[in-house]
Amino acid sequence: MPDDEQEPQRDGVLSVFSGYGIVSAVVAVVAVAAAVLAGMIWTQHRQDSDELTYRTQVLQAAADWTGVLINMNKDTVETDLNTLHEGTVGQLNSDFETIVEPYRKLVRTLQARTTGQIDSVALESFHHNRPDAQGAPPQPELSAFSARTDTVTVVATSVSENAGTDKPQTVRWTLRLDVSDVDGKLLISRLEPIR
Amino acid sequence: MRNRLRVLAFDLVAPAAAVAALIYVGIALGWPLWWVSACSVLCLLVVEGMLFNFVLARRDSVTVGTDDDGPGLRLAVVGTATTALVAAVVVGYTQWTLPDRALRDDTAEVTGIASSVAEASATFTPQSPTSSIDRATGMMSPASSERFRNEFTTVARDLASRNVSAQASTVSAGVEAIGPEVASVAVILRGTQSSPGKPADTAVLALRVALSNSDGRWVVEDVSPIHSR
Repeated sequence: MPDDEQEPQRDGVLSVFSGYGIVSAVVAVVAVAAAVLAGMIWTQHRQDSDELTYRTQVLQAAADWTGVLINMNKDTVETDLNTLHEGTVGQLNSDFETIVEPYRKLVRTLQARTTGQIDSVALESFHHNRPDAQGAPPQPELSAFSARTDTVTVVATSVSENAGTDKPQTVRWTLRLDVSDVDGKLLISRLEPIR
Repeated sequence: MRNRLRVLAFDLVAPAAAVAALIYVGIALGWPLWWVSACSVLCLLVVEGMLFNFVLARRDSVTVGTDDDGPGLRLAVVGTATTALVAAVVVGYTQWTLPDRALRDDTAEVTGIASSVAEASATFTPQSPTSSIDRATGMMSPASSERFRNEFTTVARDLASRNVSAQASTVSAGVEAIGPEVASVAVILRGTQSSPGKPADTAVLALRVALSNSDGRWVVEDVSPIHSR
């Protein structure tokens, strides 16, 4: 009978999935793929914006630390140095006294009243060492407890009014700071004045 | 078992995915007013559809997912949810992935441009007084290249008359701030000035290079010293 021939043979997989069902399944696969992609785009974007937030915090940490360094007065020098010491880690922390000794002596002998101002903070993108000078050695022990270290360049100007002289003295600072993330706290692990 | 899966897929997951996709689009767009209203209407339609489906399921004990006589409607449900998800991917890609990628590329590009402009602006050779000026102004916008040229022609003449040559090399360069249209880069240079018969004089210079993006190309707007005094 002609009617029988028009009835499609339904067996096996086709008995479960009709033509519509197969198209639906294909579309559903596309939907799942789209959902996965959307998830990946979302995580990537989250990572990128977290990275930007982190960079801002790194710049802020470097600016805060330098702000104390360039604003030391003869009365506050000890507490300021303590604050600075607490904000350091690694090589800079262990050798802190020797590294800041020149600064301490300078402030003490000049009897200076210094007001400093930070002009620029930037996350370093590239760096060239002087051909004749070796760069500072890496700190392998730092990587044991620090998740990452970024280099920040800080440009600042401070004006010292010395007890002895009438003319205020301008000091121009160009510093490279390494900022390390130690358990979520941002600490300075290297201080390098650019000369 | 089969019916349960169908209820799960067509009556619950598909509308939930559609609503989630609509909200995703909203987050990616930053909830502009038009999308707040469009999204509310569309979500309401989805919820209405679900309620309608539920009420009919109580009456006829068959849902959109389990109705063997309504495969077309099922396809429509899956198609709508897929459309919403694909739209979410497209919007997420254009609103998040592309700008994030552009920002990364721009950061590298602007530091390179700023570094070479800063070096060129601090370099001078008496033999070819305008060569470094030309090199710097080549990367500047027309207005600022005009200003730069005016400022430096007199300086160049003075340096040439004293036979002073100056060299500069970048020590460090980093982005202070960057957006899609403008950027500010700090460049720290070591400059050496030498003239015959005198010892070379080395100094560290800190320059701020302001750039702007015009038609997809970054050009320098201004070069200025960073130190405030």
